[in-house]
Amino acid sequence: MNSYIPLLLLFLFGMILAGAFLALSHLLGPRRKSKDKNASYECGLEPSGNPHDRFSVKFYLVAMLFILFDVEVVFLYPWAVQFKEAIQSGMGSFFFSEMILFMVILFVGLLYVYGRKAIEWE
Amino acid sequence: MKQDLIYFLPELIVSITVLFLFLLDCFIGKRSRRIFPVIAFIGIAAMMLANKSSSPLPSARFFSDMMVFDHVSVLFKYIFGLAGLIAIVIANGSHELEKVDKANYFTLLTALVLGMMLLANAHHFLMIYLSLEMVSLLSYILTGSLQGSRRSSEASLKYVIYGGVASGIMAYGISILYGLTGSMTLTGVAEFLRMNAVSKTALYTSVLMIMAGFGFKVASVPFHMWCPDVYEGAPTPFTAFLSVGPKAAGFAVLLRFFFGALSQTTTSGIEPIKIIGLPALLGGLSIATMTLGNLAALQQKSMKRLLAYSSIAHAGYMLLALVALNAEAVTGVIFYLSVYLLMNLGAFLVLIIVGDQLGSEDISVFQGLSKRGPFAALLSIVMTVFMFSLTGIPPMAGFIGKFYLFGSVIKSGHYTLAVIGMLNSVVSLYYYIRVVKIMYFDEPVDGRNLTTPMVSHASTVFALALLTIYLGLFWNGLANIVGQAKLF
Amino acid sequence: MAEKLFSLIYLVPLLPLLGAFVNGAYAFSGAKLVRPFVHTIALAAIFIPFLITVGAFLHVTSLPEESRQVVVTFFPWLDVGSFKANVEFLIDPLSLTLMLVITGIGSLIHLYSVGYMSHEPSYARYFTYLNLFCFAMLILVMGSNVPMMFIGWEGVGLCSYLLIGFWFTDSAKAAAGMKAFVVNRVGDFAFIVGFLLLYWTLQSKGHATVQFVELRNAVTHLDGVMLGSFSLVTIVCVLMFIGATGKSAQIPLYVWLPDAMAGPTPVSALIHAATMVTAGVYMIGRMSYLFSMSPAALNIIATVGFVTALFAAIIGFTQNDIKKVLAYSTVSQLGYMFGAMGVAAYTAGVFHLLTHAFFKACLFLGSGSVIHAMSGEQDIQKMGALRKHLPITHATFFLSTLAIAGIFPFSGFFSKDEILWHAFNHSKLLWLIGVTAAAGTAVYMLRMVTLTFYGESRVSEEAMHHLHESPLSMTIPLMVLAFLAVFGGFLGVPESLGHFFGLHESNLLEHWLEPSLVFPKEALPMASHATEYFLMVFSLGIAISGCLIGFVLYTKRKDIPESLAQKYPKVYEFIYNKYYVDEFYKAVFVNNLLRLNDFLALFDQKVIDGIVNGTAYVTKIVAYVSGWVDRTFVDGLVNLTASVTSFGGIIARRFQTGRIQTYLYLALGAILVIVFYRFG
Repeated sequence: MNSYIPLLLLFLFGMILAGAFLALSHLLGPRRKSKDKNASYECGLEPSGNPHDRFSVKFYLVAMLFILFDVEVVFLYPWAVQFKEAIQSGMGSFFFSEMILFMVILFVGLLYVYGRKAIEWE
Repeated sequence: MKQDLIYFLPELIVSITVLFLFLLDCFIGKRSRRIFPVIAFIGIAAMMLANKSSSPLPSARFFSDMMVFDHVSVLFKYIFGLAGLIAIVIANGSHELEKVDKANYFTLLTALVLGMMLLANAHHFLMIYLSLEMVSLLSYILTGSLQGSRRSSEASLKYVIYGGVASGIMAYGISILYGLTGSMTLTGVAEFLRMNAVSKTALYTSVLMIMAGFGFKVASVPFHMWCPDVYEGAPTPFTAFLSVGPKAAGFAVLLRFFFGALSQTTTSGIEPIKIIGLPALLGGLSIATMTLGNLAALQQKSMKRLLAYSSIAHAGYMLLALVALNAEAVTGVIFYLSVYLLMNLGAFLVLIIVGDQLGSEDISVFQGLSKRGPFAALLSIVMTVFMFSLTGIPPMAGFIGKFYLFGSVIKSGHYTLAVIGMLNSVVSLYYYIRVVKIMYFDEPVDGRNLTTPMVSHASTVFALALLTIYLGLFWNGLANIVGQAKLF
Repeated sequence: MAEKLFSLIYLVPLLPLLGAFVNGAYAFSGAKLVRPFVHTIALAAIFIPFLITVGAFLHVTSLPEESRQVVVTFFPWLDVGSFKANVEFLIDPLSLTLMLVITGIGSLIHLYSVGYMSHEPSYARYFTYLNLFCFAMLILVMGSNVPMMFIGWEGVGLCSYLLIGFWFTDSAKAAAGMKAFVVNRVGDFAFIVGFLLLYWTLQSKGHATVQFVELRNAVTHLDGVMLGSFSLVTIVCVLMFIGATGKSAQIPLYVWLPDAMAGPTPVSALIHAATMVTAGVYMIGRMSYLFSMSPAALNIIATVGFVTALFAAIIGFTQNDIKKVLAYSTVSQLGYMFGAMGVAAYTAGVFHLLTHAFFKACLFLGSGSVIHAMSGEQDIQKMGALRKHLPITHATFFLSTLAIAGIFPFSGFFSKDEILWHAFNHSKLLWLIGVTAAAGTAVYMLRMVTLTFYGESRVSEEAMHHLHESPLSMTIPLMVLAFLAVFGGFLGVPESLGHFFGLHESNLLEHWLEPSLVFPKEALPMASHATEYFLMVFSLGIAISGCLIGFVLYTKRKDIPESLAQKYPKVYEFIYNKYYVDEFYKAVFVNNLLRLNDFLALFDQKVIDGIVNGTAYVTKIVAYVSGWVDRTFVDGLVNLTASVTSFGGIIARRFQTGRIQTYLYLALGAILVIVFYRFG
């Protein structure tokens, strides 16, 4: 139990610090409102479109597909690390075929996505 | 490693089918959509054949303790396969699913079957979590497959949110259990708990939280609240499958968890870890589930919601087996699941046939069904069989199932529970028989007669009814097969 | 192969039952009639059993003689104390013989019916009943215990009623069916009493059983047991024989058979020639061990049998309906069979059963062919010279007539002769009656043939137009049966003749049936071979002269019968009206029964109803009070329980708010509550 105390302290400290920043800036800062300061921020550009407009779903699709294939790549890393050892211990072909199978399954998914025209932008 | 694949063969077959269906979807035009249910059907049928040929194999744990193979898993694969096959037949030709993209539906349904198989055979907690998520996610999608229907999307959304929270709680529970026992496998946990004592509170809480995930899948109190809304909103062919398949998978993993991780098999039978009072908890949960399911169903006007509550109640009966914790209980649950599969799918199929033609899913569509022509008269007889079976009236199969279930509870000495279970059966009689009554004693609201539906629907519904009656009279065959079930 | 067929023996009664069920459902459903469907199912349902029976027969012949009694159990049925009866079949020579008759001749008659009933609207119902009948009859002969045989016994009675009254819209025909059923019931009642008496006595002696195989030994313990001043065995046998007289139309319960001709002709052929009426003969053969113990009962049976044979033959002289002649001829021939059983010539009786099945079925089917050709005319006075128009029918009919008359070497000669030979050894008087009846048979049968097929044509104009030979479906059975009628006799060539041809053990049938039968202990001395030859020649001579007389009397010398009828009008009337037996029965039994009925009805109305009404009033008052109690308290309690439960339902429903947030809060809250409850 004792080893968790520092963690708890860290947690508390972080919360206090963040809270303090907010509270102090709210209490001590000047209160001068202006139209520009209250406008919404959009990386310095003019805000375009209604903030309540919905995003086109294609952004979501691309993001989702990116996550999927990104995680696939992530899985490749530990595999790659172990691969050299595996070759030396004679299990090389097995390792390789397993990863190929994994990628084939995901490739089928990619084909499906392609065939269903999900990655077309327009 | 290669030997492990033999155990995995049924799942492999289904996986290949799913992948094949995915690919096919890209390259097949709109007109040949009809081939998808056929391929799905063949795939699942091939799985069942592979299952049969792998059944004499001895029990084993494979894929480095991730999954387990034993006789119980064989039985469950049969149940899932049968549920899948019947679900495919039901969905094919259903009026409700006409606008739905068939390729999608059947591919995902097959993948759902795969998920269920993985869940029933999972041994490692991660695997359990993964397959539970697989089943849940696919269920979410299929629930919302009626595009353009507000109810369907709403049901799907509620399902997603609830399921997400439940999985989260379960994951937390798993992590606490891991922290306590240092093992992520069911047998590992059991071994640890046998040797060492752990904090009671922590163990109890973690078990309760893991129960959130399983209870959610199985729709037991207090994790059942999504059930009526989702069942009502999903397309009825899928609701039919949902009430049987994932529920069975949930019970499979419940059996594994409570018999495998939290019990020890001694010479005098199976004993739960005594320190934490699990029987009381499970008993309370099952009573609450049964009672709530039955009471809420009494006043329902929508047939789908009625069947939803009824499936909650049936889950309650089956939870009793976890309290009983003996070999007969395992047999009882599996037997009950098999007959429940038949009668529930049958009841839903009748609802689909009638609802497709009369355009509604209220109980009022059943009014005067027996007077709507010769086929409708036959259909009312079939529905009567299913209703009686669900109540548990001999000579239908439902009675035998309840008999085995309550028998195992009595054998373990929990007489009060058995009595409450039987009282609940009596309460359930009301709403089941109410359907029968309005079929025979009320007049139809309009004069339309029922025409015969597709051959596949008609023959399936009659086959299910005949099986229900047959198993109600000659259940020995099934009982023998199920009786050999041994966990691990 | 034969053994495999033998193992399918349970299909033999089961297939006709299934056929009846399918066709029955089809008929009942009111679906459109597709004749090929109906008759294919019905034919298969009787022909396949025939094939199986042949296979079983071949198998049994391959077994050694001692083990030719096989019991095949189907499933256990009754087991009450010492009364054990299973659904099981006794396959032995006796039952196989009858099974072959039933399925074989049954198949032929089914085939015949396809042609004969081709214009019948209730086609499916007909075949349903026909299949059902075959099922019942098979159960009767295959049953290995008395209850099963009795079920078949009753079953054939029922089916006979259904089939006789097939065209029930005609009230006369419906009445005929009713008559058959009621008369049968009288016999059945006697049968049951006899059987129960047997069983109780056996039980009191500690050998209770109802299985035929066991009864064989058990009844020996009844030797010498008396009931009153009569031997028990005799009483039992007589009672059971009365049952047989009902089923097999002997005096005094034969009156239904002539009326039964109201049914379709194939029905008459099957039921009233080949199978049902032979049930009585079978029963005696099956229980031969019992009957052999009582010479008194056997005597009664023999007397009744032979007297009936003569009695009915005389009536046959005067009948003008082609089927009625054959009906009385059946009664007469049955008399021979019982006569044979009565003189303990059991194999002779079964042999005559067999040959009679062949030629009588052929005769009936032939008469059906004639009726069919004559567009429904059944009066032989309106026929004549039909031989030119119906060649096949005529040929088969003629051959079967020769067979029934007992002309050598047709089948009837051998079987009838054996009976007469045994009768001679037993009692010369009985032999004399038998020979007279044989003479009579020859004469009246030839009378019928002559009036129908020979001489001048008395056919009406319109009937002439439709006169044509029957289709193949009807003539093939005729030919097969005629063949059997001609050559079937060689199954039972007596020893004395077989010697001539160097054949040792020429009486194949006798040899075959021996294991199933038990003969009386005191065997009668048989007269010499010489006497036997003499008797054979004598009866052959009688038969030939009878045929010639019959032929001549109704062609060249028609004046003789006419003048006889005129000279003795009263005698003629007496015989023509069947000795007024029906009228006698009606006056004595039926009318009195109806009067008793009326009296009882009146009694019931006045006296009994009066008492009942009085008590009813008192009960009403009591009921009112208890009803009030029931309504208020008991129903109140029940309704209270129901409303509480349904209120619970309403409350349970309220939880379902439809808002996902509520669901999640409740779930998490429940977890917390449980944990705190357990550990707080």
